Amino acid sequence: MAKLYTITVNGTAYNVEVAEAGCTAAAPKAAAPKAAPAPAAAPKAAAPAPAGATTVAAPMPGKVKSVNVKNGDTVKSGDVLMILEAMKMDNEIMAPADGTITDVRVAAGQTVGTGDVMIVM
Amino acid sequence: MSTQEKIEKLLKKTEVILAAGGEKRVAKQHESGKMTARERIAELLDEGSFVELDRFVRHRCNNFGQEKKELPGEGVTTGYGTVDGRLVYVFAQDFTVEGGSLGEMHANKIVKVCRLAAKMGAPCVGLNDSGGARIQEATDALGGYGKIFFENTRSSGVIPQISAIMGPSAGGAVYSPALTDFIYMVKNTSKMFITGPAVVKSVTGEDVTQEQLGGAMTHNSKSGVAHFAAEDDHDCLQQIRYLLSFLPSNNMEGAPIVETGDDPNRVCPELNTLLPDNSNAAYDMYDVIKAIVDNGEYYESQKYFATNIITCFARMDGQTVGIIANQPKVMAGCLDINASDKSSRFIRFCDAFGIPLLNLVDVPGFLPGCHQEYGGIIRHGAKMLYAYSEATVPKITLVTRKAYGGSYLAMCAAELGADQVIAWPTAEIAVMGPAGAANIIFKNDPDQKKKTDEYIENFATPYYAAQRGMVDMVIEPKNSRPVIINALQMLASKHEVLPAKRHGNIPL
Repeated sequence: MAKLYTITVNGTAYNVEVAEAGCTAAAPKAAAPKAAPAPAAAPKAAAPAPAGATTVAAPMPGKVKSVNVKNGDTVKSGDVLMILEAMKMDNEIMAPADGTITDVRVAAGQTVGTGDVMIVM
Repeated sequence: MSTQEKIEKLLKKTEVILAAGGEKRVAKQHESGKMTARERIAELLDEGSFVELDRFVRHRCNNFGQEKKELPGEGVTTGYGTVDGRLVYVFAQDFTVEGGSLGEMHANKIVKVCRLAAKMGAPCVGLNDSGGARIQEATDALGGYGKIFFENTRSSGVIPQISAIMGPSAGGAVYSPALTDFIYMVKNTSKMFITGPAVVKSVTGEDVTQEQLGGAMTHNSKSGVAHFAAEDDHDCLQQIRYLLSFLPSNNMEGAPIVETGDDPNRVCPELNTLLPDNSNAAYDMYDVIKAIVDNGEYYESQKYFATNIITCFARMDGQTVGIIANQPKVMAGCLDINASDKSSRFIRFCDAFGIPLLNLVDVPGFLPGCHQEYGGIIRHGAKMLYAYSEATVPKITLVTRKAYGGSYLAMCAAELGADQVIAWPTAEIAVMGPAGAANIIFKNDPDQKKKTDEYIENFATPYYAAQRGMVDMVIEPKNSRPVIINALQMLASKHEVLPAKRHGNIPL
């Protein structure tokens, strides 16, 4: 189900539409009002993933303890990509499919929320 | 008409009905990877055991030229037979006859077998493959659905009701399966939704395929509507037979005892080394289940949904048990909305049919966050507390590691009526995570670090709870199987009656 959100980054409001994987969002609504160019320092984890890519999102809120892969690494389904410390546990975050890592968006020590894309492959 | 002619007339009528929708439609059914209604029933039941009822039922619709239509068997085949020698009632919608559409008399045939099943105390299996309501029959068709829903609900908790979706199931047709105990879906050929992709597109603008919206894996992994996924019709029907082998025929009988050949006194040395020394490292709860149950054999309901909790049937010394287990490997094994719903429903099924509950606990807590709170984790989590407290079947709780706070209570602590609480020496039974607790108790203490370590050493154990009698025994992990089987034997005569009431009010 696509939902329209207004997100404020550094005081500037952006209209974004969010859809769960599997559903395609409707045609984009009117452009964001008075949207200034996005600041370069916008949180990376919140950026949308490129279409068709496999994304690894945080299953729950937590802190990144370590990241085992870097851009360009080839991984197999089930490989441990990173450790997410959450719910008093070092959770192994595994590759959902075979592929190549194209974008690591988090670093050790960073806090993530449910659904944040941490790795794109 | 001579007697011989009368017999021939019967044979001729029968031939027409057995031919169902005719060669062409049957061929089309096969091409789309589906079996016909009769083939499915033959596969589900023991060979040659099927007895058909209501073969000559005919619709009585006079609208839109329907009166001229002959619909063999009214588009649904109904009757009874046996599975592993035990009586089972069955209906199978026939997609080759008017798309398996449901009219008044079609519904009446289904209602009749449901009632017979409840009266005889035998499971009822519905094989669904229907385009939906037979619109020409107007409110007669609508009323047909209503009668089925009513029957499903009245039989709930009396006999096991199993639904297989083996084709389309849209609109009102989804709710009969939803009211039954278990839903099977066949990959690629089955679809379930309230409104199809065309309506979704016109109302919300979303582009979605039938498979994405209501395919087998959508409902097995995302929505939690379905409990089992099957590769094809054959696999689906064999799985239903397998499920029935674990279940009693009704709420007054026990589940069949099976000679499994596994020694009840078998120790599992591998369990002594399964848990990592670091209590923040995960392990696979399936390893515990496989080790302790008969022959490592279990059958999992909702395997792909809310995988942070495991719900499965297995046998211990030949007796069926329902296992509810936290899975530390997925989301740390925490309880969230979906895990609560999944396990509560499973607990209530087991309790309704007298199946003992075995709870394997390694739970760090309820999942925090706005999404969970706004979604109502309070009322969903409450379902687990309610379901366990209400359950009067034997309840055995084994704490392998973490058992923190409210989430431990929700996994059936002694206070919720667990008949026996068993702990491994690795158990950490505490009011909350020990580090967090120590942070509060020793907040401004200059010695905080040292005292926190001491606290973890003393309180993140099974012994504080054991001192209070909240844990019946602390055992070596390897002895889990014999200890649990012994407890099950001890609890075989358990008889507990709830106070008289119309019914309780489970938080929904």
